[in-house]
Amino acid sequence: MSLETVIRSIFSTLFLASVIRISTPIIFPAMGGLIAVVTGVPNMALEGIMNVGAFVGVMVSAYTGNVWLAILAGIVAGVLMALLLGLFHIYFKTNLFIGGLAVNLMASGGTVFLLYIMTGDKGNSASVKSLSVPNWEIPFFKDIPFLGDVISGHPVFTYLAFLSVILVYIFLYRTRFGTHLRAVGENPEAATTLGIDVKKSRMIALAISGVFAALGGMNLSMAYLQFFQKEMAAGRGWIGIAAVHLGARKPLGVLFASILFGFADAISNQLGSLNIPSQLVQTIPYITTVVALAVFAIQQRQAALERMKRYQKEHLEAISANASKAE
Amino acid sequence: MKSFFESKGFRELLRIVLAVTIGLALGFIITLFVSKDPVGAYKSFLLGPISRLNRIGDWLEESLTLILLGLVICIVFGASQWYIGVEGQMVLGAMAAGCVALYVPIPPLPRILLAFLAAMIVGALWGLIPALLKAYYNANELVTSLMMNTVALKIFEYILKAFIMTPKSRSISSELIEKPFRLPTFIPNLPFLQGIREIWMKQTSVTIMVYIVIAAVIIVYYLLYKTPFGYELRTVGLNTKFAHYGGINVKRTIIMSILVSGLVAGLAGAHLTLAIHNKIISNMTSGLGFEGINIAILAGNNPLGVPIAGLLYGYLRAGSDVMERSSDVSRELVFVIQAMVLLLVTAERLLPTIQKRVADIKENSENGTNGKPDVKNVKEGDSHVA
Repeated sequence: MSLETVIRSIFSTLFLASVIRISTPIIFPAMGGLIAVVTGVPNMALEGIMNVGAFVGVMVSAYTGNVWLAILAGIVAGVLMALLLGLFHIYFKTNLFIGGLAVNLMASGGTVFLLYIMTGDKGNSASVKSLSVPNWEIPFFKDIPFLGDVISGHPVFTYLAFLSVILVYIFLYRTRFGTHLRAVGENPEAATTLGIDVKKSRMIALAISGVFAALGGMNLSMAYLQFFQKEMAAGRGWIGIAAVHLGARKPLGVLFASILFGFADAISNQLGSLNIPSQLVQTIPYITTVVALAVFAIQQRQAALERMKRYQKEHLEAISANASKAE
Repeated sequence: MKSFFESKGFRELLRIVLAVTIGLALGFIITLFVSKDPVGAYKSFLLGPISRLNRIGDWLEESLTLILLGLVICIVFGASQWYIGVEGQMVLGAMAAGCVALYVPIPPLPRILLAFLAAMIVGALWGLIPALLKAYYNANELVTSLMMNTVALKIFEYILKAFIMTPKSRSISSELIEKPFRLPTFIPNLPFLQGIREIWMKQTSVTIMVYIVIAAVIIVYYLLYKTPFGYELRTVGLNTKFAHYGGINVKRTIIMSILVSGLVAGLAGAHLTLAIHNKIISNMTSGLGFEGINIAILAGNNPLGVPIAGLLYGYLRAGSDVMERSSDVSRELVFVIQAMVLLLVTAERLLPTIQKRVADIKENSENGTNGKPDVKNVKEGDSHVA
């Protein structure tokens, strides 16, 4: 394929649709990470929880033949993993980073261990017949020429992901409990004096982030592909955390950051058909993440410097004003 | 003697022994559920590595890699940098060492030395980007280093497939490094050791890396605890602001901690190509990326504890390989055990909580005569909140 066709394909409806589809498994963990971060317990186990969710969803769907039961089971498994981290961090004072890495280790080892027992294969679950979630043709929109092709016909998870951004926004900023969570994240001592149970709030925040991460994982194994694969999340949990930083911890910002990363991923998929070595093309999403984090960090730094300068200037003005008054 | 049992060191030791015991017990419970012959499987897991001479060799070789990885993490975690880019540094170090050993046309000794040097430099340089971003702009080093890991693995795969792989090779790997350019065995060629040397060389291939690793442990210990740099590094690790006000160049310390750790990571990579595989092969570092954390944490982040922790986990890994070959339980069981141990070892409050419970029970049974809850211990745990 020539460069021209690739460029043309990037401006096609198919490509835009693929950006939406590929962003989904980043939006989910990013939203989960967001809720955990604003409550002051950055969930470093998102990656592992995604793997667990992906695995449990596939296996339960294969054994019960019921997609919705499978999704429920995946969510429960994700919540349990998140609560394991919460138990150790909040009640036994395990360092959050190390606890998160431990849960990730347990997830990647545990899923392969169980996969081997259940299917006799260590790489993927293709040998068992698992189900995938249905796609949704939006009744009216699907007939609109351009828009219909882009936004209609995705797996239901995709719509759930975009809906969840709105839900998370309402939850964090318009509900009593969400406000409590943010208070816990900003100043736990003050929250305690207001009668908020900090430990319980953090456990609940982690549990919610577990739900989102599990959904993100199942989106990979039950919508994007139709089987479970070893280390299926492939860094998306971490990219989700990067999206939380990049989106300045605001739901809408995090959504845009996730879509940016989804875009990079989709570009790398498109370029894969060119005559460029596939391994190098595959690094694009990860390099994008590093660059984005760097740009964001530099901006933050400059903003902080400017704030400081402004403050100093105001301070000096105030001093000189006082001095002139005194005269 | 009593004071020793009440000392902090003993409590630490007790916690580690307890954690490993619980982890192994949990592993056995899991085996009970999944295996047709759980006792046999677990026996091969726990006794496998010492059942034959060649397996002892495998255990030692595995442990050498793990000890180096543990040292890497000791350095960066000592500075409280959550930098886990060691897999990327290691894999590119392995590539550099392999390329020198395969292609640079100079005599054996300088070639091997050059290979080590190249691996260490490449390892250090690969850490530069996350290090600069963290030091100057406070960008989250955990995420950037993980992303850089994936990038490094892809670059490794690309170089291997595009430039090194020969069309006739059946697996994705380079040609074997020729005999004179490999590392010699660790038993010196002395007359009275001749017998042992021959038996050992027939069965295993443990190389002079043993001495290099021992030297690395001592050097890293010396560096962290006996030099100004180590003092600065640990001060930054304890409290960045305090270090800054104390006149320590925090930025430089952060960057140097990651670069120095990269030197060791590169060494681990060189060990993979020059001693273990004797060639550059795809998926060289799989499953090793996070091992350093397990080991450093188990060793209490002390370089002198790292060899013990490395030998223990090397033993468990070697045992899990034996178990996988001789039973129906797969080797990934060891990751679950390790994760459990990691959680239990770092759970500061777990032991105090249990002690308090025990004291409470005692108090109840003795009607409050003797066993007040151990308030002091609980307080101590509280002060460690990160």
